[in-house]
Amino acid sequence: MAFPDEKEPDFSDVESGSSSSAAKPKDEVVTRTYTVVGGDSLSKIAKKIYGDGGRWTEIFDANKDTIKNPDMIHPGQVLKIPGA
Amino acid sequence: MRTFHPAAMLALVAAVALGACAKKEPPPPPPTPVPAPTAVPTPVPFKVTSVDLGKSIGEDKKIKETAAAFAPKDTIYAAISSEGAAAKVTLKAHWTFGAKNQVVNEETRDIAPTGPAVSEFHIAKPSGWPVGKYKLEVSADGASVATKDFEVKK
Repeated sequence: MAFPDEKEPDFSDVESGSSSSAAKPKDEVVTRTYTVVGGDSLSKIAKKIYGDGGRWTEIFDANKDTIKNPDMIHPGQVLKIPGA
Repeated sequence: MRTFHPAAMLALVAAVALGACAKKEPPPPPPTPVPAPTAVPTPVPFKVTSVDLGKSIGEDKKIKETAAAFAPKDTIYAAISSEGAAAKVTLKAHWTFGAKNQVVNEETRDIAPTGPAVSEFHIAKPSGWPVGKYKLEVSADGASVATKDFEVKK
């Protein structure tokens, strides 16, 4: 059975960064994203990004607009990763 | 009784008047130096002036050599040049792939520019970028300010 997203490339290993010659505001916020792949869970993603699976709640809190149940994330879903 | 001749009287009055005129006036105070008018800078509102793509940046964050085509193992840099000042501007780089605009990456950065500035965003994919067409959309405080198309070729 073929799924519509089957042939979509996997961008979950994309590494990103940024910098600026401008000053930083006092309450500077830098946020990046992570694309969920099969087998991922929020704690696995937190472990992968922060090195601490216990920080999954930070990812959950940053994505409450799209994640209603923290145990229900799906491949291809793009999550905001705060403070990474 | 002693009388004065009118001519003598005139001479006396003239002498007194002359004496009064000859009285030295105190020298006028030196003129107070007037400070040169200083131009009050008009605050320039923040504005993105250009977005360039390339494979590397310099210390000034600017792209060393602009490019629109990349190899699968390249790191792709976007340098966003801006002018103007703002207490806080949120820049966002939204990278997508293909006609379906599949999200590749999205990153935001808050800046507080006081004048011309360059902000860079970069992405890399250790396993290699899929060949195809990509798009970068840059927004400032939620408003799209520029888009750049580029391609990854083998």
